[in-house]
Amino acid sequence: MYGTHSKRDMEIDYQSQVPILRPSIHARRAKITVKFQDLYGFTVEGNVDDVNVLNDVREKVREQGKVWWALEASKGANWYLQTHISSTLKTSLKFSALVNAITLKKLIRKGIPPVLRPKVWFSLSGAAKKKSTAPESYYEDLTKAVQDKVTPATKQIDHDLPRTFPGHPWLDTAEGHAALRRVLVAYSFRDSDVGYCQGLNYVAALLLLVMKTEEEAFWMIAVLLENVLVSDCYNKNLSGCHVEQRVFKDLLTKKCPRIAAHLDALEFDVSLVCTEWFLCLFAKSLPSETTLRVWDVLFNEGANLLFHVALAIFKMNEEELLTVHHVGDVIHIIQRCTHQLFDPDDLLTVAFDQIGFMTTTTISRQRKKQEPAVMAELDERLRRLNSINAGDEQ
Amino acid sequence: MATSGNKNMNAKLVLLGDVGAGKSSLVLRFVKGQFIEFQESTIGAAFFSQTVAVNDATVKFEIWDTAGQERYHSLAPMYYRGAAAAIIVYDITNQASFDRAKKWVQELQAQGNPNMVMALAGNKADLIDARKVAAEVIPLGTKLKYSSSNQDMSKIVVQDRKPEAQTYAEENGLFFMETSAKTALNVNDVFSEIAKRLPRLQPAQNPSGMVLMDRPAQTPATASCCS
Ligand SMILES: Nc1nc2c(ncn2[C@@H]2O[C@H](COP(=O)(O)OP(=O)(O)OP(=O)(O)O)[C@@H](O)[C@H]2O)c(=O)[nH]1
Ligand SMILES: [Mg+2]
Repeated sequence: MYGTHSKRDMEIDYQSQVPILRPSIHARRAKITVKFQDLYGFTVEGNVDDVNVLNDVREKVREQGKVWWALEASKGANWYLQTHISSTLKTSLKFSALVNAITLKKLIRKGIPPVLRPKVWFSLSGAAKKKSTAPESYYEDLTKAVQDKVTPATKQIDHDLPRTFPGHPWLDTAEGHAALRRVLVAYSFRDSDVGYCQGLNYVAALLLLVMKTEEEAFWMIAVLLENVLVSDCYNKNLSGCHVEQRVFKDLLTKKCPRIAAHLDALEFDVSLVCTEWFLCLFAKSLPSETTLRVWDVLFNEGANLLFHVALAIFKMNEEELLTVHHVGDVIHIIQRCTHQLFDPDDLLTVAFDQIGFMTTTTISRQRKKQEPAVMAELDERLRRLNSINAGDEQ
Repeated sequence: MATSGNKNMNAKLVLLGDVGAGKSSLVLRFVKGQFIEFQESTIGAAFFSQTVAVNDATVKFEIWDTAGQERYHSLAPMYYRGAAAAIIVYDITNQASFDRAKKWVQELQAQGNPNMVMALAGNKADLIDARKVAAEVIPLGTKLKYSSSNQDMSKIVVQDRKPEAQTYAEENGLFFMETSAKTALNVNDVFSEIAKRLPRLQPAQNPSGMVLMDRPAQTPATASCCS
């Protein structure tokens, strides 16, 4: 096995701990706000309708599980891992791989059953492949080698451990902190250009909950930052993140022109709300199962999905957004929406069906176009700041 | 920017400062009257709004609580652009955070809105035993008048000798207060003081640079309350 840190006692099964809540008629009438635990142990606040939605979602997850089991029964246990169409395959096999890939894409958009997530994510994201190219004991050796080192990154990580989903029944325990620390510290040494960027703490925490082992969570972080997302999202000046924000603004203008024009008129910069979405991959904004459904698709289809989801959030609120005239109201609409998106299908249906097609090439071209502009802007800003500081010292 | 109706105005306010200085805690205290030992670290920025009554008018603050990590610096202009006010927060137990605060002041002076009302907040004033940034220059041999067991933090008396932070604030046209999100010391006061100094509400010349530490009691904020 993976050695000391993995498969540790992370086998807490949140699903089984969570009681099915049946709000009383009384509570329903009163429209009171209740606190409850969701599928992954997060405490959420919502009204009684939200509790009902969450119960429906739990039921849908179970139904979706049955679909996966049925497919396993007919296609074999690991059918979804054989969707790679390699040129060496015989034509008949190629065809079946293609069929599987199409089936899988549709299926994944409807959600991967929580128990299968670790296996499916690990394989489809490319994390398994990445791990296989490193020595067997890579993670163990790395964590051992760096455990006592102190760097700016480790200091920041230590500072953030109790500030990452505080109150969560596993993450906010000594054991949860220790696991999160090892994953983040290990990665900060793997890529010293990134080191540690705030935001990764939330992503890693959620990955730990899903993957159940630290080592797999670590490789998921690696594949995300090195392959799935655009490069330099989390580096020292967040240049990749700036590029994504600009591309997103262009897409909003194209896909939701009325909203874009309205927000422009209010001098509302959408990055004000979107930055956190892209840096935390929605982990801090959407309810947990909804976030994980977004990640299901992210790991199978790639980073452009994030644009679809972000656009969908605006699209879903189009009419209401057009009626408001204050920046604060815009933010309240968006935040209320994201916090209450307990049914992932509400979001994903809009993301896939109403946003329309965006080709990878178009988006890549957009990114290429924005990169020099972002670099120039960041350089200019640095130059100005340096001149302020220099002026001060004279 | 501050926009005003007759008696009511909206004002964009931004909080800047080092990681963990307590920006989010100050906002939470001001907006909800709460303090949480472990605040989630802020990514990008978080938005809040809260209304304060000043005299017979109200100011609705649109508050941007920004992320403190150094690399998030490149996002900051988006949040302070057009802001009518800024609170620059440092942690009195952490000298580096005070140095960082000065950098923010310089940047706002150079790039921010020229009429911006700026406050310097030395936060975590409840941790006086761990103090690293002097609020006042203490003459050698003077016994400290207060300790962490002091019950009423609001009674801390500022001596006539100018403190390091206060001197800095005066020289740079900011007003200075030591705050504690934990005990609520001066938290509402920072916001109401800003509200008073916003240009539209105060057509008379803005006495920027004046430091009010020992002024009479302030009009309290409408929603939250002190401990
Ligand atoms: N004793 C004491 N602790 C405080 C006070 N204000 C904040 N803290 C603590 O300091 C830590 C950081 O506070 P935050 O409000 O999250 O700091 P921040 O400036 O928002 O940090 P970033 O979002 O990472 O930039 C938390 O653990 C708070 O409990 C205070 O007035 N007194
Ligand atoms: Mg914060």
